[in-house]
Amino acid sequence: MIDDQQPLTAVGGTGDPSDPRSTGMAAATTPAVSLRGIRKTFGSHEALRGVDLDLYPGECLGLVGDNAAGKSTLSKIISGTHIPDEGTITLNGKTVRFSGPAEARRGSIEMVFQDLSLCDHIDVVGNLFLGRELTKGPFLDRKRMIEEARKMLDSLEIRIPRLTAKVEKLSGGQRQAIAIARAASFQPKVLIMDEPTSALAVAEVEAVLSLINRVKARGVAVVLITHRLQDLFRVCDRIAVMYEGTKVAERNIAETDLEDLVKLIVGEERH
Amino acid sequence: MTVYTERTKGHPFADFLGEHAQVLSIAFFFLVCIVFFSVMTTTFFSVGNVLNIVRQAAPILVVAIAMTLVILTGGIDLSVGSMVALINAIAAIVLALGVPWPLVIVAMLVLGGVIGLMQGWFVSYQGIPAFIVTLAGLSILRGFALYLTQGYSIPIRDVPGFFFIGRGELFGMPFPAILGILVAIAGFVVISVTKYGRQVVAVGSNLEAARRVGMPAKWIVASVYMVSGFACALAAILISARLGSGSSNAAVGFELQVIAAVVLGGTSLMGGRGTMIGTVLGTLTIAVIGNGLILMHISPFFTQIVTGAIILLAIWLNTRIFTTNFRFGGKKRN
Repeated sequence: MIDDQQPLTAVGGTGDPSDPRSTGMAAATTPAVSLRGIRKTFGSHEALRGVDLDLYPGECLGLVGDNAAGKSTLSKIISGTHIPDEGTITLNGKTVRFSGPAEARRGSIEMVFQDLSLCDHIDVVGNLFLGRELTKGPFLDRKRMIEEARKMLDSLEIRIPRLTAKVEKLSGGQRQAIAIARAASFQPKVLIMDEPTSALAVAEVEAVLSLINRVKARGVAVVLITHRLQDLFRVCDRIAVMYEGTKVAERNIAETDLEDLVKLIVGEERH
Repeated sequence: MTVYTERTKGHPFADFLGEHAQVLSIAFFFLVCIVFFSVMTTTFFSVGNVLNIVRQAAPILVVAIAMTLVILTGGIDLSVGSMVALINAIAAIVLALGVPWPLVIVAMLVLGGVIGLMQGWFVSYQGIPAFIVTLAGLSILRGFALYLTQGYSIPIRDVPGFFFIGRGELFGMPFPAILGILVAIAGFVVISVTKYGRQVVAVGSNLEAARRVGMPAKWIVASVYMVSGFACALAAILISARLGSGSSNAAVGFELQVIAAVVLGGTSLMGGRGTMIGTVLGTLTIAVIGNGLILMHISPFFTQIVTGAIILLAIWLNTRIFTTNFRFGGKKRN
């Protein structure tokens, strides 16, 4: 495979978590999340064939690869949406086994899904607080949720005029902004974003990229999945390349370029 | 830094109209019916008749409120009529055995909830479509009712406390009507301001999203069928207490009336969208039409035709006109 041909600058794909890392940024030594030997099969289709991956606090990892390379499946395993068939997940040094998304969320892992996962018939506030509604007894504390929602959106510089509007009435960009705000606002330790900029206009992409940098600065481990390779160089510290359900390479951002990435993604080095 | 594109803020009144289009439409339709029957008959708009309408509508209202929760999750419960018949029959049998009536009521409510939960388990945890599960329930429960009673009507005798529930009056209001109003208020509160109501809407709007944010999605789906069973038991008690008997042939076609009331109230069969006020108005509209046509000396069989036609009209309005793209000032409602 490619691993043995990797340039010296690449971080060892199968290395143990205490490996000295060459990146200057975010020099945390214990990973926030560490995946080892993750396998996942859907029917007869091997979606993931043994993936190792480390996420470090305050660092953005770009996850790239062709369609069906296993990026989304891997990210859904981290967020507890899929349960791996084999392999271990270590969260802050402790081995965990998520039974579902609720548990991952309790472990401060948040995800922005590709399909956004919003409830169209619920208003903006309700979607921001979906699954962790503020309550007084059995009742929703609407007033406090509206106040908090306004603060959340303001701090992310997201402007939505009417917080009580149903989400179905909003534009694609606003919807994506709400999905991102929902994931980013509750002090996550790990934030996974699956194609967060796919439906966004140029200015909105800029906002998301600056959001990623701000979240990183708070010490959050960020995973960014995107087909827009040029964005990776704006926010990522490290890039992992997936190919056919395996991680084929890992690169520090300073030591790679667009051409190198494209080659890794399409698997040209093998020919 | 201005980043996210904004639409200009709509006029609050236009927003109000847009968001409450369904309820406003059924309210309008309801008023038209009232005016029509008040003009066409002399007896329709009298205190006695109005009280009669609410008394008769109470069982439908109670179940329709629960059915709104079921349909909000994107499901349906076709078994409500059979459930009412079964509980109605069992209540009469147990009362005939001499069991104290308050105990019977509690036992029947629990039984309704348990049967409902069993259906909910099949729908939610086993992933069988609600239509299939409750269609089977419709057949099975009615069958049990027929088997237990052998098709006979079982009289209930000498339990004045029990009869009060169906026939009594409190503050000049029929007791069933008071119960119906209380259930409607409870339903309204649950759906608009409680966490459970929010979860029901979320599950109906986007099940996978609800699961991903950590809601107990499967339990919520199952629970609405339990609520439906519970409401059916309440309706069965109202009916048996009013008629003074338990019969396996009670509430035939009841599911049709209930679903018609909910759909007429603007609740979408696709789930996620619906209101309790709409359901109350839908129920009253159906009750008023049934009552008014009889007062006009039109054949009671004709009521069925009208009810069916109204369901079709309501679903047509629901799917073709009141979509998310609906705007007042665009295509007018008829």
